Amino acid sequence: MPEVLIQYQTEIWRSIGETFIMVGVSILAAVLVGLPLGTWLYLSRKGQLLENRAVFSVLNLVVNIVRSFPFLLLVVFLIPFTRLIIGTAIGTAAATVPLAIIAIAHYSRLVEQSLLDVPRGVVEAAVSMGASIKDVIFKFLYVEARSGLVLGLTTSIISFISYSTIMGVVGGGGIGDFAIRYGYQQFKTELMMYMIFIMLLFVQMIQFTGTTVARLIDKR
Amino acid sequence: MITLTNVRKQFGRDIAVQDVSLHVERGEIYGIIGASGAGKSTVLRLMNLLETPDAGTVEIDGALLTSLSTKQLRAKRHVIGMIFQQFNLVANKTVFENVVAPLRLAGRPRATHEERVLECLRFVGLEAFKDKYPAQLSGGQKQRVAIARALANEPHVLLCDEPTSSLDPNTTAEVLGVLKSINERLGVTIVIVTHEMDVIKQVCDRVTVMADGSVYETIDLVPSGVPAIDNNPAWFVDQLKKAGEADA
Repeated sequence: MPEVLIQYQTEIWRSIGETFIMVGVSILAAVLVGLPLGTWLYLSRKGQLLENRAVFSVLNLVVNIVRSFPFLLLVVFLIPFTRLIIGTAIGTAAATVPLAIIAIAHYSRLVEQSLLDVPRGVVEAAVSMGASIKDVIFKFLYVEARSGLVLGLTTSIISFISYSTIMGVVGGGGIGDFAIRYGYQQFKTELMMYMIFIMLLFVQMIQFTGTTVARLIDKR
Repeated sequence: MITLTNVRKQFGRDIAVQDVSLHVERGEIYGIIGASGAGKSTVLRLMNLLETPDAGTVEIDGALLTSLSTKQLRAKRHVIGMIFQQFNLVANKTVFENVVAPLRLAGRPRATHEERVLECLRFVGLEAFKDKYPAQLSGGQKQRVAIARALANEPHVLLCDEPTSSLDPNTTAEVLGVLKSINERLGVTIVIVTHEMDVIKQVCDRVTVMADGSVYETIDLVPSGVPAIDNNPAWFVDQLKKAGEADA
């Protein structure tokens, strides 16, 4: 084990933990809020079951606005809001707020796209069988779109890791922040490289898992 | 069994169906034929309110669909089967899961599901395929699974939207044979929309010809029956020779 890694063991483990918290909360937000939001976006589109021009326009606009913010500016812009919910704008907990918001916007768009890939006829057949909206969503749409939903989440998680690396600006910590403060700013290039390698490893693992799961559940 | 009274349906500025009235008797096989764009598919989709009419009423199996609540309409749809040109099976579900879906939607007791699914699959001759996925089946087999799915809740009516239009002649005969026996053995009223003249001639008791969104004429037929077709190459040769003679 290289000496620098042993020397900074405690900090490295702590920063990995911080990254896990930030990315974990992002994933939760993506699944718990992004998935329903993306589904609603899809359903409120023209020609879909809950077609509603006003609802679609508003949702579409909000998602676009959040996604068009340069992320660093979004973090700054959200400081008052973060303070309102967390009580402070500094630290790992505070960092999860902007991350959760971008996560929701990011994943909801990918959910919408995956659902658009489901053949219309499948939804039509479901309705003709007397399926309610809830049945259509859970027993048909999600079943048919499941590999797209998994691949979308995989792409999103990797983006969340990337977003989490800049949360050092609000004291969020994480591997990226550690690599910058200890590796880059203190000229410990070797340490920085190791941190980049750790992130690369995470990304590879997530992509591999996501791709494999998506392939296994795709029977189309 | 099915009565449409002065139904009208417009998509944007296009009038798809105007002032159509027709009546389907209990137990018959009723055909609707016409050129593409004549409004025949829309008429079929109006029968289970997949399309809501802009005017007119739809009555099916004693219920005035156009005046039901959403919940009542869903319940009614459980006993109106429908099959489609593109089959519309859920590709990520096995044959068994596809056929069990309507039973779950209708809230039938769980214990009866397996038996009923197998019964329906046996009817269409695909019991052995229950664990396969649609992607592993031929077009004719997919349509038979779709038929099994439509039969699961013991429907009184089966609506067929171009059921054989993406199938070759052999599988067309196979599917028509199944439809015919559903009608004869189970007493299900069947409505078939198609642009294939042969399909109408072979199975329909009555047919409505549509043009420009209206009923052009309705005529009685004596169905000629589904021809026996096999995959024997000699059959193809025979057919080709026969066609040649007819031309000459």
